[in-house]
Amino acid sequence: MLEVRGLVAGYAGSEVLHGIDLVVNDGEGVVVLGPNGHGKTTLLRAITGLLPPTAGQVLLNGRDITRWRADIIAAAGVVHIPQGDLLFPEMTVHENLLMGAYHGPTWAERSVRLGRVYELFPWLKERGGQLARSLSGGERRMLALARGLMSKAQILLIDEPSLGLAPLTTQQIYATIQTVKEGGMALLLADENANHVADLADRVYLLETGMLVREGPAQELLNDNALLESYLG
Amino acid sequence: MQDTQIVQAMWGGILFGSVYGLMALGLTLVWGAVRLLNLAHGAIFVVGAYAAYWVVASLHLPILVALPFGVLAAAVFAYLMHLVFIRPVIGKPGFDNATLIATVGISISVSAAALLIFNPEYKVVPPVLSDSTIVAGVQITYQGLLVIGTSLALFAIVHLFLTYTRQGMAIRAVSQQTEAASLMSIPVVQTYGIVIAISGALAGLAGVLLSPFFFLNPQSGFNPMIQALIVTIFGGLGSIRGALVAGFVLGVFESFVEVFYGVSWALPGVFILIIVMLIVRPNGLFGIGEVRRL
Repeated sequence: MLEVRGLVAGYAGSEVLHGIDLVVNDGEGVVVLGPNGHGKTTLLRAITGLLPPTAGQVLLNGRDITRWRADIIAAAGVVHIPQGDLLFPEMTVHENLLMGAYHGPTWAERSVRLGRVYELFPWLKERGGQLARSLSGGERRMLALARGLMSKAQILLIDEPSLGLAPLTTQQIYATIQTVKEGGMALLLADENANHVADLADRVYLLETGMLVREGPAQELLNDNALLESYLG
Repeated sequence: MQDTQIVQAMWGGILFGSVYGLMALGLTLVWGAVRLLNLAHGAIFVVGAYAAYWVVASLHLPILVALPFGVLAAAVFAYLMHLVFIRPVIGKPGFDNATLIATVGISISVSAAALLIFNPEYKVVPPVLSDSTIVAGVQITYQGLLVIGTSLALFAIVHLFLTYTRQGMAIRAVSQQTEAASLMSIPVVQTYGIVIAISGALAGLAGVLLSPFFFLNPQSGFNPMIQALIVTIFGGLGSIRGALVAGFVLGVFESFVEVFYGVSWALPGVFILIIVMLIVRPNGLFGIGEVRRL
């Protein structure tokens, strides 16, 4: 479904990604593992149009979406849940969710989608009128995830879902992502902790200094402690 | 202190306050969403007023036809300004400088164009309502009441639009988190264009409704824009509530200074007030603080 070929991207003259090749199949959970600062966020940003790549291609179901505008890529169903959540701070929880369904066809069925999201996150319903900026870190992360789920995503790109969260909240987040995946959603997850993603991952890529150095079934790679130790420290 | 003077000051203050607020509403919307300080806002006011004047004077149509035409002309003008001068520099490092110079340039060009097209003579734009009544010895024009009512109604409409409609919510989303907005498939640059057009329509409406109180000339937009800038800063850049409150506060304050201390003290008085205000609250009454852009 999502294919990345030879992707090169970076910021103001310094290249961060040096030719990434990556595939996510329908309903597959793919995890890009790598330490901080090795290009995980840049990779997701380059795929979803926030950072136009300097070379390479991004294909969605065989269609070239490289250098499309971010809003058009999102409308096409590649939905990015960014690092730092990027909620709309002065909007309520309910309004944040509605914005997730902004795209025309999705907007028409926003009530149905809202109902589904409330099943996953019942507390969001009670807190609907609260401003997003007044939420705790864990609540924000869940709202960011829920907002992404309001869209008609074909694939979810999630950037470090556990970043800055307490262990218990982290567990809840990954459990929710697991539920979403079981619903048939394709996932591309960027993470730095192999333990977190063991249940979610079908396949794993190891990212080091802007290059994918290993690729393989999650079973194999995530159980290879020596390998993980050498890459993730 | 006489009753007449007080009523006079209140009336003038509320009337002009509502216009300042209406002008500031447009400025603050654009600042909030686009982070653009639109110094052509006064020029857009003038475009609306002259467009309405043209419909009345050349086409001999009633002001009720000219009014929507003026509003539309101002909105279209503002949108074209966005297409030609703002959109090409969005996301570029020189955005602030480029747009400041461009909008000042547009102001000068509009004045010059108005001079060439309509000659320098002062024009009369007829009021929508021409009757008036006397309250405590002060003439209350119905056009003035119309201006106040329209301004308040537009604040309410803009508020409802931003709160409850898909497009309005998208404008707020873009104002608060541009990057997330584009990840929600909101077309950010197109949204900028819509905000600028709405702001232009508001300025145009102010132009058509306010011109009957003065004679229209190519510089007519300058004063309302300066006042609106002061109101916007006073109320807090980007804050709609701030524009409403500050419009009336400054309008009434200026009017009282004018009535009791003379016209020459009005503008200095306003500046003293704003300086004190900025020392006490640097972000204005309801300011939104830091700057971020696409």
